[in-house]
Order: sequence, then C-alpha cells, then structure tokens
Amino acid sequence: MRVVIAEDNALLREGLVLLLTSAGHEVAAVAGSGPEVLPALLGHRPDVAVLDVRMPPGFRDEGLRAALEARRRLPGLPVLVLSQYVEESYAAELLGGGASGVGYLLKDRVGRVDEFLDALERVAAGGTALDPEVVTELMTHRRDSPLDSLTPREREVLKLMAEGHDNTTIGRTLVITERSVSKHIGNVFLKLGLPPSDSGHRRVLAVLAYLRHR
Amino acid sequence: MRRSPDFPVRRPVPPAGGPPAGFVPVVRQAGRATGRLVLAAATAFGSYLFITVLLLTAVGTVAVVGAFLLPETVLLVRRIAGAKRRQTAVWTGREIPEVYLPLTGTVRERVRTALRDPGTRTDFRWMAACYLYGWLPVLMVPLWPAGLVVDGVWCGLLRRRAVVLPLIGRLADLDAAWSTALLRPSPKARLTERVEELTQTRAGAIAAHAAELRRIERDLHDGTQARLVSLSMRIGLAKRACDRDPGSVRRLLSEAQDLAEEALTELRHVVRGVHPPILTDRGLVGAVRALAASSALEVAVRVDGLADAARAPAAVEAAAYFVVAESLTNSAKHSGAPTAEVRLTRVPRGLRVRVRDEGRGGADERGTGGTEPGAPLVSGDPGGVCAGARRGSVGVGTGLPGMRRRVAALDGTTTVSSPVGGPTVIEVELPCVW
Repeated sequence: MRVVIAEDNALLREGLVLLLTSAGHEVAAVAGSGPEVLPALLGHRPDVAVLDVRMPPGFRDEGLRAALEARRRLPGLPVLVLSQYVEESYAAELLGGGASGVGYLLKDRVGRVDEFLDALERVAAGGTALDPEVVTELMTHRRDSPLDSLTPREREVLKLMAEGHDNTTIGRTLVITERSVSKHIGNVFLKLGLPPSDSGHRRVLAVLAYLRHR
Repeated sequence: MRRSPDFPVRRPVPPAGGPPAGFVPVVRQAGRATGRLVLAAATAFGSYLFITVLLLTAVGTVAVVGAFLLPETVLLVRRIAGAKRRQTAVWTGREIPEVYLPLTGTVRERVRTALRDPGTRTDFRWMAACYLYGWLPVLMVPLWPAGLVVDGVWCGLLRRRAVVLPLIGRLADLDAAWSTALLRPSPKARLTERVEELTQTRAGAIAAHAAELRRIERDLHDGTQARLVSLSMRIGLAKRACDRDPGSVRRLLSEAQDLAEEALTELRHVVRGVHPPILTDRGLVGAVRALAASSALEVAVRVDGLADAARAPAAVEAAAYFVVAESLTNSAKHSGAPTAEVRLTRVPRGLRVRVRDEGRGGADERGTGGTEPGAPLVSGDPGGVCAGARRGSVGVGTGLPGMRRRVAALDGTTTVSSPVGGPTVIEVELPCVW
C-alpha cells in the first residue's frame, strides 16, 4: 500500500516509516507540519493516510482538520488519525462524513505492531478502526439504556464490533466460534432494537450511530 | 475582614417636589421622614450617652483595665455604627459598605487591631460629629405644628405646593447625607480589606499550586517512573536470555510492552490533569461542548458573547473547564436528574459559568466530591474506564471545596444553590480582561 504520513515528531515519524516499510508498504510522502499535509494527500492520493492530530504551527488539531478537509475533497480517502489522547467528539467529527475508511487510535497502539497494521489495512479497505478507549467511553456514560440489558459477553462482542472488527477477529479475540459470534450479534441487535444487518460495514455504522445518538 | 450581611434595601418614595401634590401624600412623606429622624435622634442620644460613659470609664480606669476594655468598646461602637448605616441605607436606598478588621487573637493583638483598624477611626469620627449634628432631628418638632397649619391651608385648601412639611424630608436627607459621608469606609480601609483578601487568595493559590506539583510528582514517580524501570529491567533480562533461553525472551518482551503501555496511559492521565489537551485544541467552548457530549446527562450548552477569536486567559479557561467538568460529574453522580444546562456568558468583568440541573438538590460542601483531594489521579483506573472521574480530576482536589479554592485563586466567586428537592445551580464568576 502507498501511505502518506503526517507526524511532526521526528522520532515517531522515523518509527512509523520503519514500521510501515518493514511491513512491505510504501511511504509515498511524509509531512512534518500542518500546512504540508493537505497538499501531500491531494498530490499523492495514497491508499491510506496516517495523521497526527496535533501538528505545528498551532499545535492544536491541524492534523484532524487536514484529514477532514482531505476527505471532503477526496470522498472516501482512507485516513487513520493518531492522537496522544482520545476525544469522543473528534471521533464523532471523523465519523460524521461516513465511517467508511476511518480510523481513530491512540498513538500508544502503534506499539502493538500486528494490531496496528491490521487496523491500517482495515481502514485502507474502507473499514473502521476505533480505539477501544473511545468505544468504552461511548458505551459507559449513558444511564438507563438498553445496553444495560446486554450480557457481559454480548457487551464484549458489541465493543469489538464498534471498534471495527469482523466476526472472525471477534471470535478469535474472545476464543469463541464464529457461529456463536453471529448469535451474540443477533441478540445485541434485537435488544438494541436495530434492524438485523448482515455482517460487514453497514453493521458497524448501525452500531456506531446507535452509540453516538443515544 | 467582615462585611455587613446583605439586607433588603427599600427604596423610599422620592421626596416631595415636582408637580403640586395632594396634602395627604405630603403628610405621609413627612411622617416617614419623622420616623427616620426619630431613629436618628435615638441613635444620636445613644451615642451622647455612650461617649459620656466612655470618657468617664477611660479617665477612671485607663491605667488598670481600660486597655482590656478597648476591644469590647470598639465592638460596641461597630454595632452602633452598623445600626446607623442600615438606617441610613433604608432611607437613601444605597448601601454603605462596612469594612472592619476582625478582632481575634490574644488581648494584646485585639487591642492592636482595634487601634490599627481604619474602621475604628471612621466610627469614632462619626460619633464625634454626631455630637454636633445629632440635634438636627429636634428641628422637626416646631416644623410639625407650623407645617400642619401652613400647609393645611396652602396645600390642602388652596391646592398650592406644600412648603413646610417637605422640610422635614429635607432634614432627614441632610442627616442621611452627612451620615453616609462620615460612615463610608475610607479608601485606605477598602484598600486594607482588598490587600487582606488578596493575601488570603494568593496564599490559597500558592498552596494549591504546591499541592498540585506534589501530586504530579507523586504520579510520575510512583507510577510512570516505576513502570519504566521495570520495563528497562525486562529488556535487560530478555537480552541476557537471548542465548540461554530463547523461549522466555518472548514472554519478557511482551511483559515489557505491557509496562510501556501502562506507563503511557498514566502519562496521558497526568497530562490531562495538568492541562486538559482539548482546551488547547478547541478552546473553552469546544472543550465544554465535548464535556457535554460525553456526560452521562443530556446537557444543553448555551454560549453568550464568547467570540471564537478572542480567548480568555488560559488559567481562566482551565478553571471554567474544571468547574463545568466537576459540576457535571457531580450532577451525573448525585442529582438523579436526566438533564443539565451549562451557560457560558461573557460579562463586563470577565466570564460567568453557570451549571444547573433539576435533580434532587442538597449538594453539600463535602459529600459530593467523589475522590478525596489529593488522591492519586490514576489509582484503580488504569484503563481510563471511569470517564467521568477522569475528566473531573483536573486540578486541585475535587468536589465543591476544590472548585471554590480554584476559583478563589483567580479572585473569582462561587455561588452554590442546592435546596433539598433541587434544582442545583452552581454559578462561578471569573474576573478577567480579554
């Protein structure tokens, strides 16, 4: 895959380049400051972009804004946004234009190389990768919701589903068969009053929409 | 410093004047003025008596017990002056501020404070002046019969403007004007009070700052540093094991990675506690909207006069964010209300933050805080699951006392209204220029 990296910290930038090239990806361009990001994305049209939220010159949310702007101009451009901390409202903004090809992860997750590369590939393929912390926040803070009626196992399944994983990964993570994953998902949709949905991306969208607009 | 408690101030009917009034209102107005003048006379009489007794006592016992009686005497004078201030305020409709140093400590200290207090001088000056103008109310005694006769004919029968009875009102005005001038605290007293107030809040700010640094130090030292040491140790062990026991290398490295991740999580919490990153990214309004969105409650945010471009000073923004975070956490935990409202308003002197919920009320100063002040930020919450507590843990202590301290450190005011049965309204004003 051709990847564009936007990260101002040289140490992390080099680390990301090393990680991606050693995994067999091609780093098409690296941007070290906010204003460089958009031209790099529009010029190279990468298969996926990895962006830091906070970039110079303002050290605010230049990376996030660039990602949103790039997606506005090139609809469906897969972006994986990395951040020192996760903020639910940022996730909401990224997902606002459709969750297809969107990732939002804590920077720490880069350390889990396999999982990170997996998330990157998922995003590049038009899927979703949401940080577990964002999903936890989405799931914990409302009271008296139908979520309370879920069994612990169903909650786990819902959580992994919201993070963007497919049935196979969910089954492997929870050490259960794919058949029981499907069964749990069916129950979750029933309890939350969502229309039954086939596996795949529409299902993630339904779950995220539900979690965000309760 | 002690400030006079608020008391309702009744605005009097403006003194007669303007178009010719009927006789009855004129009499009524004069009656009111009379009441006021009688009070003034009583006060004056009281102070005559008091000063006389005071002089006698002072002369008689100055060597023996005079000094010990001084603080008590000053307290009594304060009460008399306070009564006069209130009487005057009722007549003029303008409150006269009362500024005194508190008389506390040993007898020596109290004597010294009593002598040093500019308020004492103001009071004694007024009392002495009272000797001179205290007889003023007596003038109304001849005015009444004369007024009833003259104005009875002039105003009651001939429908002309009353002449004599309004003079009684003038008398009361005069007494009030002189009293106001004499009893108003001197600029020096106000300055002294302000200095005292600033000294206190500054001490509070410094203490809070020190406590904050200690907390950060402890979090970094006990948590992050310990984990990094342990991480480094595992990498060292893995290097040693490379040749002898390749099987254990994988386990050691995976433990090392766990430790690195935990250290990162902790660092993130510490950073959030120092200064919420979203405040830097999005400014106060954006940060508060994010808080509202992630609250367990349905939170409406209203913003008045906060332009996107202009930002309040960082300390004010941080305090305002802290107040909203803390209040919403408390509301979610204790109020039982499904909704809350946050208002951010730019006021002439700074920023006003108001958080209201329609819950069960009864928020007290101690019980609603969640964690104890100074509790480690990350204890028992390694995964950051407890979103509310984490967001609330911004700054010194938690709960209402922590909020008050933080606001007072910026010279702001905190008003909490939470009657049992609700609603709970927390209003904070933070002075600033922006």
